[in-house]
Amino acid sequence: MIGRTSRSAIGMLAPATGLIAIFVFVPMALTIGLSFTQWSTQTGFDTARFVGLANFADLFGPTSIGRDFRAAFTNTALYTALSVALILPLSVVLGLMVHQTFAPGGIVLRTVLFSTYMVPMIAVALVWSKLYSPTEGPFNQMLGWVGIPPQSWLSSPNTALFSIVLLNVWQQVGYFTVLAVAGLTQIPTTLYEAARVDGASAWTQFWKITLPLMRNTLLFSAVIAVINAVQVFEPVALITQGGPVNSTNVMTYHIRRVGIERAQGGLGSAMAVTLMLSLIVVIVLLFAFFRDREEQR
Amino acid sequence: MNASKGLNLALFGALLMATTAPSQAAEISFLTHWGPDTVAQLDAAIDKYEAANPGDTISVRAVPFGDLLTTLRTSGGGAGGATIAGIYDAWLPDLVRDSLISAAPEAIASDTKANWPEGVVSAASAGGSLYGIPNEIDVYALNYNKRLFEEAGIAEPPKTWDEFLAAAEKLTDKSKGQQGFGLINSWAAGVLHPFASLLVSNGGDLIVDGKPVLDSQAAKETFELYEKLITSGYADPAMATADANTTGPFLDNFVSGKTGMIIMANWWESALKAGMGDAFADVATAPIPVGPSGDKARSISYSWMTVVNAQASAEEQDAAWKFLSWLNGPDSGEDGASAMGEILMSMGILPSRTSDGEAFAERLNEPFLEGYTQTLSDAKPFPVVLGGQEFSESLQQTLEALQFGQVSAADAQANAQADATEILERNAQ
Repeated sequence: MIGRTSRSAIGMLAPATGLIAIFVFVPMALTIGLSFTQWSTQTGFDTARFVGLANFADLFGPTSIGRDFRAAFTNTALYTALSVALILPLSVVLGLMVHQTFAPGGIVLRTVLFSTYMVPMIAVALVWSKLYSPTEGPFNQMLGWVGIPPQSWLSSPNTALFSIVLLNVWQQVGYFTVLAVAGLTQIPTTLYEAARVDGASAWTQFWKITLPLMRNTLLFSAVIAVINAVQVFEPVALITQGGPVNSTNVMTYHIRRVGIERAQGGLGSAMAVTLMLSLIVVIVLLFAFFRDREEQR
Repeated sequence: MNASKGLNLALFGALLMATTAPSQAAEISFLTHWGPDTVAQLDAAIDKYEAANPGDTISVRAVPFGDLLTTLRTSGGGAGGATIAGIYDAWLPDLVRDSLISAAPEAIASDTKANWPEGVVSAASAGGSLYGIPNEIDVYALNYNKRLFEEAGIAEPPKTWDEFLAAAEKLTDKSKGQQGFGLINSWAAGVLHPFASLLVSNGGDLIVDGKPVLDSQAAKETFELYEKLITSGYADPAMATADANTTGPFLDNFVSGKTGMIIMANWWESALKAGMGDAFADVATAPIPVGPSGDKARSISYSWMTVVNAQASAEEQDAAWKFLSWLNGPDSGEDGASAMGEILMSMGILPSRTSDGEAFAERLNEPFLEGYTQTLSDAKPFPVVLGGQEFSESLQQTLEALQFGQVSAADAQANAQADATEILERNAQ
């Protein structure tokens, strides 16, 4: 009976797991395998030559390969940290504004916020590159009205990455606000009623009820935000081309440059594997952090 | 009897079809980075060709310049990729090494050698074989704004680096947001080519016999010139950004009269005209100023060519070469010009076919282009080596670091030479 049940389960799961194996695990295994080879992406896999850990040694070596990789890795880490640090609190604040029933306009605000997520990145990139224009851009003109000198935005290696982060936050925050609202609707209103009876202020209610009970939503949002941020590509490719001075050269763009433009498939695969391992570590740390917070409660 | 007659008729019919049917029709595609207006001209030429050659159909795929090499490498080189692609000569060695493009048939190669200058044919060749039909040649010259020169009291364009720095100083006016000289960043060719033009005009080179020579005295002086431009405030790197379409603030600032001088290639004439309108009359061109170690005004040049996908079927390759031969030939345009020459001239680009130079002699002598055609004979081709793209991107990064004051001229020179040596040696293996 058990055997028949198992066979039945395997039979039903096979199509889905088979597709996952073919389209996810096989490419991953292939990328890992190629990371130990010297291989031109323009030639067949049979031309790949095993070089052991040489590609990984290059990534951490003193040549331009290593320097460019580490710069791209640092840029990606900074971009991810800044994006998550801005998106998560903003999504909670905006979620509370959308979710509240004291003032009208919540649904309109939700629609407006989510609409930015639906705009294609090509349109966003075109518009934002003009908004950021150092001499004629509206942002600098608006800053000028309040006496703030023009900012260099995308034109300086000191501000270009942060400018791309702002663009990302603007586009993504609506999506994460919707997630936050979904989390807020899961919190029983009776808890707030009881807190108010006990004399808890709105501030206390937020810290003692809202935030702790949004833990799972925030964990999910953080994981998705990290993955989205690590995969950033379009704004860099469309607006900055990784510059100036490689200050916006993020991992996906750099892997494309190395693996496709220069056809250095083995090296590009080693970069992809390193990025994947780093992402796994970050996600595991996020889960550990939220579990730790839960245990402290 | 009836069956035998029927068989004979069928055989006769098959023979008739075999002897009278036109050569097999082919559907081919043309990958380019040209803008919509230029693509429309290419489409018009294709319509003319298709009318004269029924059966073959040609479609155009256009991508931004920044995506051209990637598109070529990801899809262009496969059997389903574009049959024809316009490429930059620096990419040729790597594309040949990876067997992405096919060698030209003997007849095409002979015709090309007979009708194009030797240097251009050489840039389209690798290992003794011709791989593409050259079409455009680009050279760099000093572009300057005559109105700003007049306002600053400068009578004529600078001929030496000392005059160049003096002019840059006079043209710089921070209260107006005006810079004397416009640098370019975030675009490899935009960073490298002006630097290389100044370097060769100072008697130097980037690469000689496959080895970088950025440790020369001429290179040292060129790095120091850049440092001087930055530290003196004559050039503002924040006004120098380019985007994926090779436009952006660097162009906007020259067009809007906030940049006094810039070193750019002839192909941007159409962008200047579109951006400046009547004010384009303020733009003039002059040879690159000569540095202290240079003997005469020099510049760098590079060429473009159309190549054929090595993975395309034999019919498609035949059709592609036939079309390219017509497009670049003297019968496809007006008055002995090629259709390709007409397309290029509409953008202010110099066609490289010898007969096109004669057909467009009047146009090439117009004031803007004259500054380029004058310098063409003394231009040095940008080095074409394996790993050229990686070399370019590495030097771009070093020069941008110098632009933003992250490294000194001495460190930039040392880094550039060390990185270039490592990159070229690795790619040559």
